[in-house]
Amino acid sequence: MKMTDQDIRIFITMARRYFEALEPKPTLVIEPPFLRDELGPLLEYTGIIPVSGRCEGAVCFTANGGMLETILALLKDERRDDAAKRDLVGEIANTLSGNAREEFGSDFRISVPNVIVGPRVSADLRTGGRNYAIPLNWRSETAYLLVSLK
Amino acid sequence: MKLLIVDDSSVVRLAIQRDLENGHITQVDQAADGEEAVRLYQEKLHDVITLDITMPRMDGLTCLESLLKINPEAKILIISALRDRATALIALKRGARGFLCKPINPDELREAFELLLTD
Repeated sequence: MKMTDQDIRIFITMARRYFEALEPKPTLVIEPPFLRDELGPLLEYTGIIPVSGRCEGAVCFTANGGMLETILALLKDERRDDAAKRDLVGEIANTLSGNAREEFGSDFRISVPNVIVGPRVSADLRTGGRNYAIPLNWRSETAYLLVSLK
Repeated sequence: MKLLIVDDSSVVRLAIQRDLENGHITQVDQAADGEEAVRLYQEKLHDVITLDITMPRMDGLTCLESLLKINPEAKILIISALRDRATALIALKRGARGFLCKPINPDELREAFELLLTD
């Protein structure tokens, strides 16, 4: 399956839905997706969801600790430690990719999240697909939804 | 009333626990995967279980079957990011009493929980 602009719009819709669930009127600004030679950019915490089935590759959510701490606060989670941020970034990646099955169907198979800290190389990121980065600007910080499927 | 929350994310487990905390619940246990959930359920036979699907070691749909083998009347609410109709139908056919999609809406969660209690 070759990713189309329409497919990328599905992920944008899922990201918008996630932030709307966090707060009623989120100040989320989603910039137009752009293509990169490799999957990235990678911020402080990255949740990677390996995808198989009707397409192969990965869906990632990457954010800095500050944004993740803000989300933890909105979820009324008092923890601000590294473990909580790793857990959260993986869960956001899981939610965004799992929600995409609403459009892609159950053959869009997702695995449990892998989490990396910092911009380090991971085999999960070498998918061979087109690498889309979707900037998500929220509360003065930017996270990225990264989609690379083939 | 005993509640078992099964999800590989501690953020989600804590959020569910906070959303459901009320006078009904006397004990809450948490499990991070299906195997741990089956072990805890065998030991304590919780009144209600919330169950994620995508988890390491044992996924939620396999866990659902194992829990229902222990107790065919187990009250299990699936809470999953897998937002496709086919997965929801499979879970309900296998015996789940309800299916909620993540991200969790606390009002919907409490409503589904109350329905389970009166079921």
